[in-house]
Amino acid sequence: MEITWQLLLMQFIFGLSIGSIYILVAGGLSIILGLLDVVNFAHGTFYMLGAYTLYVLISLSGNFWVGVVSAVIIVSLIGGLTERLLLKPLYPRGIFYPLFMTFGFSICIPDLIKIIFGLTGKGIGYPAGFMGAFLLGPIIIPKYRLFIIGLTFVTFLGLWLFLKKSNLGMIIRAATRDSLMVEVLGINISRIWTFGFMLGIGLAALAGAISAPMVSAIPDMGLDILIDSFVVVVIGGLGSLSGAVIGSLLVGQVVSFVSLFAPAFSHAAIFLVMGLVLILRPRGLLGEEGRF
Amino acid sequence: MKRLFVILGLLSTILLFGSTYAAEQAQLGMTIPLSGAYGAFAVDMKRGAEMAVEEVNAAGGLFGKPVKLYIRDSELKSDVALRRFKEMTEKYNLKVIIGSLSGGISLVVNEWACKNKLLYMSFCHTSIPWYKEFCGYGFGAGLVPFQSGQAMAKYSFKNLGKKWMFIGYDYRWGWDNLRGWLAESEKEGAEFKGAIYLPIGTPDFSAFIPQIMQKKPDVLAMAVAGKSLVSAIKQFAEVGLTKKVKIALCKGQIIDFKELGPLCDQNIYGASTFYWKLQDYYENARPFVTKFKDKYGRIPTADADSAYVGTRAVLEAMRQTGTATDVPKLISFLKGFAFQYNKEPEAFRACDQARTQSIFILRGKGQQAKGWDVADIVTQIPYWDTMQTCENNAKGFPYAQIKLPGK
Amino acid sequence: MNFLGAEDGQAHMGAGKEGKKGLVHPVVWVTLIVFLLLPLVISKPLATEILIYSVFALAFNLLLGHTGVLSFGHAAYFGLGSYTAGIMYRYFNAPVFVGLIAAMTVGALIAAGIGAVSIKKKGVYFAMISLAFAQMFYFLAFSPLSNWTGGECGLKSIPKLKLDYPFHVDLMSSWNLYYFTFLIAALAIVILWRIFDSPFGRVLQGIRENEERVTACGYNMVLIKFVSLIFSGAFSALAGSLLTVYLGYVPISTLFWMTSGMILLMTLLGGIHTFIGPVVGVGVFQILQSTISSYVERWEFFVGALFMALVLFFPEGIVGTIKTKYEGGRKTVHE
Repeated sequence: MEITWQLLLMQFIFGLSIGSIYILVAGGLSIILGLLDVVNFAHGTFYMLGAYTLYVLISLSGNFWVGVVSAVIIVSLIGGLTERLLLKPLYPRGIFYPLFMTFGFSICIPDLIKIIFGLTGKGIGYPAGFMGAFLLGPIIIPKYRLFIIGLTFVTFLGLWLFLKKSNLGMIIRAATRDSLMVEVLGINISRIWTFGFMLGIGLAALAGAISAPMVSAIPDMGLDILIDSFVVVVIGGLGSLSGAVIGSLLVGQVVSFVSLFAPAFSHAAIFLVMGLVLILRPRGLLGEEGRF
Repeated sequence: MKRLFVILGLLSTILLFGSTYAAEQAQLGMTIPLSGAYGAFAVDMKRGAEMAVEEVNAAGGLFGKPVKLYIRDSELKSDVALRRFKEMTEKYNLKVIIGSLSGGISLVVNEWACKNKLLYMSFCHTSIPWYKEFCGYGFGAGLVPFQSGQAMAKYSFKNLGKKWMFIGYDYRWGWDNLRGWLAESEKEGAEFKGAIYLPIGTPDFSAFIPQIMQKKPDVLAMAVAGKSLVSAIKQFAEVGLTKKVKIALCKGQIIDFKELGPLCDQNIYGASTFYWKLQDYYENARPFVTKFKDKYGRIPTADADSAYVGTRAVLEAMRQTGTATDVPKLISFLKGFAFQYNKEPEAFRACDQARTQSIFILRGKGQQAKGWDVADIVTQIPYWDTMQTCENNAKGFPYAQIKLPGK
Repeated sequence: MNFLGAEDGQAHMGAGKEGKKGLVHPVVWVTLIVFLLLPLVISKPLATEILIYSVFALAFNLLLGHTGVLSFGHAAYFGLGSYTAGIMYRYFNAPVFVGLIAAMTVGALIAAGIGAVSIKKKGVYFAMISLAFAQMFYFLAFSPLSNWTGGECGLKSIPKLKLDYPFHVDLMSSWNLYYFTFLIAALAIVILWRIFDSPFGRVLQGIRENEERVTACGYNMVLIKFVSLIFSGAFSALAGSLLTVYLGYVPISTLFWMTSGMILLMTLLGGIHTFIGPVVGVGVFQILQSTISSYVERWEFFVGALFMALVLFFPEGIVGTIKTKYEGGRKTVHE
């Protein structure tokens, strides 16, 4: 195989689009992790719910964009309900029980989806105007991939502005550092937690919805993405949102280029990278020293 | 005391004979992945087997009783399949087992059946009849993956072009199809441009697109199936790849064809052992198709045909040998057993117990597809063009000698 | 005297009073007798699997219930133990016992490796990292190393196993297989009890109750957790190797994270704060699964729902809840 710069560029762009999905999912996971100290095993399940909700909404409304926005809102609400009803009672029991609960959720819900929607999953069409690709000589860039990259960028910009500039964002950042302190200052920490959870879930649902046209809505689609997100969060640094972003971009490129040079390793490679990071820089690339 | 013994001896002899005589109950144990990602295809196998059993039961059953078919879910996991078979054979004293959708699982089950001297009738694309896998207890009502690979390759090199590339699942089914392609490629002097192995069920093919585009093959051989295939074709279509290469599917499943819709156009080909439109060519395909459609609401797939044929043959063996448990007797009946059920005259070849059947090359219809009429049959490749001779199979020739690139 | 301070801890654990006589607690004897007679009541394959997963669950709970460390990647030890035994039998024609010992060794080494890079991490992060490592092994076995491991199909062509020493025993018969597994499992259970009941075991429980206090007493907490992980890994691998002997084959699912999840579920079901809880959990779950899945196609839905209900309402599991009711009002200590 000839290694041309065009090949590398195309591979890089695909890596960016893979990384973008990771940014959304791992970013959401990181927010929940940092804020609630809960490893959300159900994160992949909400990703999947985003895709299926989009499917349902497209069947009802016929419009992709309406579907995406509504899917994010609806799944976030489901996330909020889940946090209130299933997780909140478990916080006093210590760090493991909320984790167990999310794990049970991740086994139960995909099966529920299989019961309702069948086993093989549902296909979703690309939105009009985003089918096909841009051709720049020998370089082909699918329009939809660019859309994913762009949307992720805009979403994250919005998220960053929200966290840095708004009052609620400031409270969330503070609560991520020290929830007890925030509570002492008179703020209803329980509501902050619910909101933070919903935020993280919303990002996962968005990722699921926009992935759906490419990979179809499949009941078990959350599995792989969940584990990949764990790897990203560990690499990027536990507790750091910007770490999650850097980790995502890195992992996206690793997956892309390993697929090019050694496809058999395309799944295993990111774990090897994670192992390396754990040995050389245990707190992750941008992680906080000593917190974990 | 002596009298007591004599009476006891007489009693037990009578009981023994009596029980063996009454004990013959035709029963089959089957596991298929009803709950995995390929549940939809597994359901077809279940239906094919059930239909064969119901036909026999409607005609009075076997040995004066209805045939019993026990079905368990293997969850697409080999250890679960083994566990279910172990439980079933112990609980019901089964001697005949059937099933499996996954080639990999069927190989495991075959090995276990051999160790435990059970008759195993497999329905899927599997290498049970071949070389070191063959151990005398397993039958193949489906296809050996070398065949499908070689059949598809044969057609492709003759009609579609000689520069080819392969992308497929990284396990036995994928490798064996590739070997079929490589064998044919060497014979025809085709130009092999490389192979990409993927973990099963990969949903995102984008990372592989640039290299495929760079190599510019005429034909892209794909050993991928199910939702994964649908995603792949969609993603290829995104970049216009589907217009530039011909796609040759090692297993052309019409469920996938239908799912693809208009994307499944004349550039997409697939190898299959059964397609419902065969009823226009073969007399006995029609009743099979009609009955299946009436019973289950849609036309039968190739998997349904394999399951039906395999089950029916096993039941026929039981009927004609008069036993459901004498495995050596059943095996020697089935060896070389000739029949004509759903299409042409076929048989289970004596030397390797594989079904001699022809392979049909299907081509997509694109916009012209209507309902389940999603493909045209472009050619039929008879079994002698795809199956190796008995001696070759016993030696593993030529496939065992073919080194897979990158492995 | 008693460095734990809280009386609750020790009494609640039922770990034995001072000056306990006998090799093992009566509960262990009862368990062994039940296992001895089990194949008369349920099918031999089911009984053998319960034995195997009981050993796995006890090893897993050594880390979780007793040390308070959650590993979500225990499938790594189980699976690698399975594969090690399989590889020894298939490629090296090793005797059965050699395969088992090799498996335990590998389990211990891998545990040491993973522990070296991650045991210092706090609870949930260790869980995440352990999961990621386990998946790494899964993917390695799946693709790049498939020439050795058989990839997705698993490791086949393992020769028929038999024992030559001290007696000639054919392990193809399901009775022989069961009682062979029983012997090894019984040994493992007794050893694990001895660990649990030893001074080392008490320190483990101390770590679970109150890490800082244990450190303040001068114990090297990290080292102790590390050692606990190694024991846990070794015995999980032993369970895996027993699975290889039982199946005559190594499925790749042994490395898959669902295996880690299932063992967590079964252990939790039985009760993590007792010694024998996990065994009860395994037994109940396996029997349930065996009966329900014949009738219900979507049993994972029920399992998940059961798990969530368990976590919400019965966190102490079957044995734990019975114990608390029996002991009447004694406050259970939570994590």
